Amino acid sequence: MIDKDLRTIRAEIERIDTLPTIPTILKKLLGVIENPKASLTTIGNFVSNDPVLTSRVLRMVNSPVYGFPGRISSVNQALILLGLNVVRGLLLGVSVFEAMQKAMLGLWEHSLGTAIAARIIAKRKKMAEPEEVSVAALLHDMGKVALSLKFPADYEKLLKDVEARSLLISEGEKELFDVTHADAGAWVAKRWNFPANLVEIIEYHHKPHLSKNYPMQTAVVHLADVLIRARGFGFAGDMLVPNLNQAAWFSLDLKEQNLKDIMLELEDLLQEAAEFILSDE
Amino acid sequence: MPSVTIANLRPGMKLSRPIVNESGMVLLPQGTVLSDSLIGRIENINIATVSIEGDSKPKKPLEDELAEIDDRFKMAADQPLMQMLKRIMKEHAEGMNQR
Repeated sequence: MIDKDLRTIRAEIERIDTLPTIPTILKKLLGVIENPKASLTTIGNFVSNDPVLTSRVLRMVNSPVYGFPGRISSVNQALILLGLNVVRGLLLGVSVFEAMQKAMLGLWEHSLGTAIAARIIAKRKKMAEPEEVSVAALLHDMGKVALSLKFPADYEKLLKDVEARSLLISEGEKELFDVTHADAGAWVAKRWNFPANLVEIIEYHHKPHLSKNYPMQTAVVHLADVLIRARGFGFAGDMLVPNLNQAAWFSLDLKEQNLKDIMLELEDLLQEAAEFILSDE
Repeated sequence: MPSVTIANLRPGMKLSRPIVNESGMVLLPQGTVLSDSLIGRIENINIATVSIEGDSKPKKPLEDELAEIDDRFKMAADQPLMQMLKRIMKEHAEGMNQR
């Protein structure tokens, strides 16, 4: 167990944006997206003035993750089509991806895969905002990035330990920090003024039955996470499939055949996503 | 049918789907074999990826795939729900292998 009390850990994680190792693009971005009153125009202008950010966002919205292939050509168009919350989440996603790759090779693939799976499930369940669920899925593991940025040496040791002992990464985190990446991710998301559903999905993606206000969205991301791990796409800290939560499974009301269909639909998009990842930058 | 970003297009690749512009007009038909000059022109169209024929990666042998699934599910041995999931994953891997 690491020699720090919970309050200290939380305070340090919440101030993660002051670390020198945080990508500059993320620092700049946080200044704008943390403000819940920031308008479409403010964000649109900010992103449009940054060519790297613009190209990353456009590649993302035109990627198999979002399924508007080749149709979105400007940041403003993306903002109108996807809405402010989704674009804010996407901006965060594309700016943490470098840190994600450094924290854990394969975590970005895991995140993209989960985002794709969540969108497929949300659409099949005819949920109102499949893109919002998908962006939450993209960011569901950002607590892993936060923990490993703040405690790089400890986290590296943790990864080895988890592998040697065949533990789930969250079990290892709990032993070491007394909290998991789900807690850490929710702290950061709350601190950065992310929408309430995003905070709740991140916090409960391993315990979807505890989600009070967004149980369906949380259940979708939980199932998406389990499916992507079961499929062995990307790397989320361990090579084990965590248990699918019974309550979440029943609330989604899916049959075995639905899952088979979801896997088939997922497969083609994962293929495309793999290309998208390989060809990055 | 992998989809390849513009930067990764190479001469000799064959389109598995037509390239269309925003209004749906076909710019290059399915089956077109790409050349350097065509790739240059594709770069000027505002598209992110192009579908090409062929497989992107060599396939893993099915036995390895199935053994890996067993490994990943080793924590959840006797849970009915997880058993179902494991069965689906194995059938899925078999189906994919036959493609």
